[in-house]
Amino acid sequence: MRMFFAVMVFAGLSALMPPAQADTGKRVQVTGEIVDTWCNVSGLMFGLGTAHHQCAIWCTLGGIPVSIRDKDGNFYLILRIEEDDQSVGNPRIAKIQTHQVSVEGELLERDGIKYLLVTKVADDKGIINMTHEEYGIQPFGQ
Amino acid sequence: MKHEAFGRWFPALSRRLAGHRGSGRAVLLACMAMLSPLHAAEPWNIPHEKILTIKGVVVDILCVLKQDCPQACGGGRRQLGILQADGKLRFVAKGNIDFAGAAPDLLPFCGKQVESDGLLVENPAATFFFAQGIRTDPNADFTQTDAFLKAWTAANGKSDEWWRNDPTARRLVDEDGPLGIKGLLPTKK
Repeated sequence: MRMFFAVMVFAGLSALMPPAQADTGKRVQVTGEIVDTWCNVSGLMFGLGTAHHQCAIWCTLGGIPVSIRDKDGNFYLILRIEEDDQSVGNPRIAKIQTHQVSVEGELLERDGIKYLLVTKVADDKGIINMTHEEYGIQPFGQ
Repeated sequence: MKHEAFGRWFPALSRRLAGHRGSGRAVLLACMAMLSPLHAAEPWNIPHEKILTIKGVVVDILCVLKQDCPQACGGGRRQLGILQADGKLRFVAKGNIDFAGAAPDLLPFCGKQVESDGLLVENPAATFFFAQGIRTDPNADFTQTDAFLKAWTAANGKSDEWWRNDPTARRLVDEDGPLGIKGLLPTKK
């Protein structure tokens, strides 16, 4: 009887709890520039290419989220690169800021954000967006 | 960049450029605090921004999405957010410190209910929350989101511009140059 009661209580509690399920994302290939999400989306300053590279390093190391911005202006916010799940202040990601990359990964969309779990960096062309010729260094000019 | 936005985004530098150490700004802020509702978030005139206080549980974003849940929300390695009672997951992208996020401010409250005062930016490209204050007690004052700078200062010493004096940032900029390409130097404008 005691066992029956325990099983019924467990079953009742289980029914009340929401299922903990991993979202199933979509397999995607994304090509674009690795950017500092805050400067780009807020529009507070020019935030692309060589002109903004130094600032992008600062922001990455400060824990600002990093995204890949594709040619259509979509932002894919990076939560993981291969086995590396450090998405706050990761020097490895700071090192490849502003690079033009093509990646494969899993896309999960939730409440206005496209989250990307990169499974493979297929191509890294380095920095090719020479914006400093027009914009100098953003911000501060140095 | 507009001057007003520059001052908000880079308050430390803005004060220096103005030739004083912020006493005027401090007086102005004190006056504003007396006249306005306590702890209302400051607008930044970012397109699509909305002043908002959100309530919910502090969560590790990757844990919510993929059930990949290390202890203590990843201990500072991972981006964090606030999961509201209505199921909306608010990604917290920014705190009050220049060039820094708010993960260190949220981390102590992993799994706990909080209120955060700030700006919800619903840009069609990405929706995120800029947390300016945080509290667990609805009757308490909001604590400013400056945990990043406190931790950085404890590790590296006091600096008006943490970003220029961060050892890793200096190393990366020294290695590849400020434009990111070895040997490429800024052209005079």
